[in-house]
Amino acid sequence: MMKHLKAINKKAQLLDAAVKKTDNGSNATNNEIVDANASAGLEEVVAMQSVVGCTATTDPGWEVDVFGGVAGLCQPMESDLYGCADPCWWPAQVPDIMNTYPDWAKDKGSAEHDWRKLGDVFPKDKE
Amino acid sequence: MKTLQYLKRHIVSSLLILLSLSMTLAEAYAANVAANDDVRDYMVVVNRPNNMHFVDLTTDKIIRTCKLPSNLLIGTVVMSRDRKTAFVLAGRFDRIFGVKINNCELIFDAQLSYDNVRVKSIGSIAVSNDGKEVYTIHNPTRIMNDHYEVMDTKFAVYRVEDGLGAKPAKTYPIHRQINIMATGNDGRVYLSGPDVYAIDPTNGQIETVIASLNGNRKGYGQPDVLTIWPLGQINNDFIRMYTVPKFIDETKNPDTATYMWGYERVDLSTGNTEVKDFGPVEQVFFTGMLRPNHPDEFYAVLTQLRRYKVSEEKAIRSIDLERTYYCINFSSDGSKLYLGGTYNDIAVYDAETFTKLNNIVLPGGDMSLGTFQVFSLPKAQVVY
Repeated sequence: MMKHLKAINKKAQLLDAAVKKTDNGSNATNNEIVDANASAGLEEVVAMQSVVGCTATTDPGWEVDVFGGVAGLCQPMESDLYGCADPCWWPAQVPDIMNTYPDWAKDKGSAEHDWRKLGDVFPKDKE
Repeated sequence: MKTLQYLKRHIVSSLLILLSLSMTLAEAYAANVAANDDVRDYMVVVNRPNNMHFVDLTTDKIIRTCKLPSNLLIGTVVMSRDRKTAFVLAGRFDRIFGVKINNCELIFDAQLSYDNVRVKSIGSIAVSNDGKEVYTIHNPTRIMNDHYEVMDTKFAVYRVEDGLGAKPAKTYPIHRQINIMATGNDGRVYLSGPDVYAIDPTNGQIETVIASLNGNRKGYGQPDVLTIWPLGQINNDFIRMYTVPKFIDETKNPDTATYMWGYERVDLSTGNTEVKDFGPVEQVFFTGMLRPNHPDEFYAVLTQLRRYKVSEEKAIRSIDLERTYYCINFSSDGSKLYLGGTYNDIAVYDAETFTKLNNIVLPGGDMSLGTFQVFSLPKAQVVY
């Protein structure tokens, strides 16, 4: 895929450089156990782990499963609602209860019955 | 003659005392055996907003509901080895409670964040074998006015005797991206991260026990792991599932690869490890476990429930569930399945036939991502 894409802005160039670094670093041989620290190609994942705001996860969410269908999705969607909001799993679709909007689902304990009461959230103006 | 009568009387009374004593001992022994014979399965599970339920799985009735002092999210439960105390990762991944299941007494409460450092623990909680220490992972970030400072990740040891307001007694550097953990019989704590590690909580020494992301199985690509549910207490094992491409030749062509489900497991009794495929990736699962007393059967769940024969790497039974359940568990004899997470009911299934047996409805709201535990206790040790 990367062979057919050309980085045209700074962020894309950084991504390109990171991929090249990973490719060069993956030199393990078969049956070789490589210590995490010795695997130069794998960069330490910091942002995901800091969980200050939200994850950078952009998985397809409630639209399509890994096979391109819908059978693998959580059903009904409400059953997955708090499971995604609690750990900040789907930043685009639901607010982050873990950090930024801890009271978004307060007093709305059942996603199945209370989903209509859940509101939108907006970033607050800086005071 | 009098002496003879006295001796006779004495012997008879001694015999009577002995008989009565032996009967008392026999009764006590019989009562003890009966009490020990009535070993039942129980469950501890938490749900919104702050409920911790203690359930008798013989009757499927809730024995008591403990109200905890704060929001329970994420509600990851682990039990002490004596099965008397539940430890709950709560407070939006930021707090740990220790609660006596027989009287709801809160004996331990640790807030992970401090000052302007926000600390999160992603499903990471374990208890030492003697019940005196609680382990977790600190993922700290210092929050400044104009920037965040991502700090080093730590393995933290808390003393249960420090009670409410406990602070970490010790911390050790640890890899990033750690989630679930479990304590082995040797006292080491097994950690799920890019690989599976074991850390000695007495000195912080770390060993990689299963090379996963950094491993290199011949003919396979990199495995992908998703877990936040420390299951396995019923089997005394540490377990997590993976998906992995299995290539047909040295070209490692992903288009011709078969994607396999498998599990990485540590036997907590012996420390022995196992990495095993159990079937092709045809469905999405969040949790899976080996069936107790059936080491060749692996069950997995999300929106479908599937039973696999591991040695043949194929599914031998599968059903579509009424709705999604994140979390699976078994009765101690492997005859029943318990499905939980998402909403507020535990579905009980016959593990052999997949016949639905019951729904244990929990008062309160959703379980969401919480982990529930099943364990055995003599009924005599439970306060009803």
